[in-house]
Amino acid sequence: MLAVKTTKLTKKYKDLTAVDCLDLEVEQGELFSLLGVNGAGKTTTVRMLCCLAKATSGEAYVMGNNCDEDKKEVKSIVGISPQDTAVAPRLTVRENLMFMCRVYDFDKQKCIQRTDELIQTFGMQKVADSLAKTLSGGWKRKLSIAMALIGEPQVLFLDEPTLGLDVLARRELWREIESLKGKMTIILTTHYMEEAEQLSDRIAIMIGGRIAAIGTLSEIEEQAGTKGLENAFVAIAERDVEQ
Amino acid sequence: MNRVFAFTRRNIKELLRDPLGYIFCLGFPLVMLIIMTLVDRSIPKEAVTIFHIENLAPGIAVFGQMFVMLFSALNVSTDRSGTFLMRLYATPMTAADLTAGYIIPMLIIALIQEAITFTAAFIISVIIGNTLNLGAMFICMLTLIPSALMFIGIGLIFGVLFSEKSAPGLCSVIISLGSFFGGIWFDAENTGGVMLKISKCTPFYYCTKSARGAMALDLSWKEYFLPFIIVIACAVVVISLGCFSFSKKMRADLG
Repeated sequence: MLAVKTTKLTKKYKDLTAVDCLDLEVEQGELFSLLGVNGAGKTTTVRMLCCLAKATSGEAYVMGNNCDEDKKEVKSIVGISPQDTAVAPRLTVRENLMFMCRVYDFDKQKCIQRTDELIQTFGMQKVADSLAKTLSGGWKRKLSIAMALIGEPQVLFLDEPTLGLDVLARRELWREIESLKGKMTIILTTHYMEEAEQLSDRIAIMIGGRIAAIGTLSEIEEQAGTKGLENAFVAIAERDVEQ
Repeated sequence: MNRVFAFTRRNIKELLRDPLGYIFCLGFPLVMLIIMTLVDRSIPKEAVTIFHIENLAPGIAVFGQMFVMLFSALNVSTDRSGTFLMRLYATPMTAADLTAGYIIPMLIIALIQEAITFTAAFIISVIIGNTLNLGAMFICMLTLIPSALMFIGIGLIFGVLFSEKSAPGLCSVIISLGSFFGGIWFDAENTGGVMLKISKCTPFYYCTKSARGAMALDLSWKEYFLPFIIVIACAVVVISLGCFSFSKKMRADLG
């Protein structure tokens, strides 16, 4: 079974087509990146896959569940770390995680166990009892991802996880994301070429709501006829404009 | 139900960790209670009865509830302005879980606020030698529960419909109008004329009137039950509208 499958998935906002007939297949356990500039339709795609936006037409499936008809099932198997750090600012790191555990209806014992587990995994012991609003950008992103992992998702969506972080915080977060590889399917949106290059098993380049190229890094380089993801991205984008 | 408790707990913690909450929800009503008692002591006793502690305490309690409305609006609009609600939309939480999780903590804060206001009023009444009746105070506190829900509902509607910048401004307008037409700072009954007619068209007038009726242990139809029933009806309508607008907004966000 595919982790994610979309068929002619389209999202229109009045006259604007944010996502245009998207056909996508992501294997289980893959780390798949949606790469594109701002407004390419990456976040809208993720929102539709997480049941946070209704498709205008087409279909989307997550682990075989239809995102329009089986919302409850989809919501129980996905986790999302939104673009902004969606954390409760006046709760501590531990309280934020405990809150999410209760949202997923875990019993008290499991709440404590899962919270401790994630604090350990993300090395957040020293900030565990700090209020979220006092954390640096990097720690907030780690907390945001940890919160997305609470429900033990089969598919994790990371929407621009390193946006606005300094180079050290970004590298540290990459290591955390890499450590999750293989444990679940990860769909990552980014406009940083280096990030997509470093982390992804496969990459889809999105331009104007459509997929302009898809494949492994070497396959994309081959399609573009250049070396390096940045050069390939520019070549594909220019080719797309010309068409 | 566990999700409602989880969200309620989160909201209470966030509210109690906001220093502005203490200043506006507790500090300001208490300061007004003390200042107005001093004003009452400084003017001839028969001149203005509205500032006598038995009239002042219910009025201040209603005034305090208006700040709970402000915080209700801020709580919802702030969550909406970020992506925190979006994260929760992607979990098994429903619109009903979220609205209940917004209303319950504000009701708890309103009850705590009432208890503190009336405790302070009782202490003041003992000091000035006009001891308040504890039974009357208890009935008054119960009478104020529907009005608390009404103000929370107004806050919920403002929080859903307006941004975190405009919602507090609109709440300030309601606080000003509510204090004015609710007859908190003057005796609406004695003003008469157009002023009284306008006051009677607002729910604020009935909030204060029923609370003062309870405090005076005047549980007659005209002084207590009629205004109390009007407040209950308004609370039901406003809370229903608040829940409906939240659920509609959630559907629109997910559209």
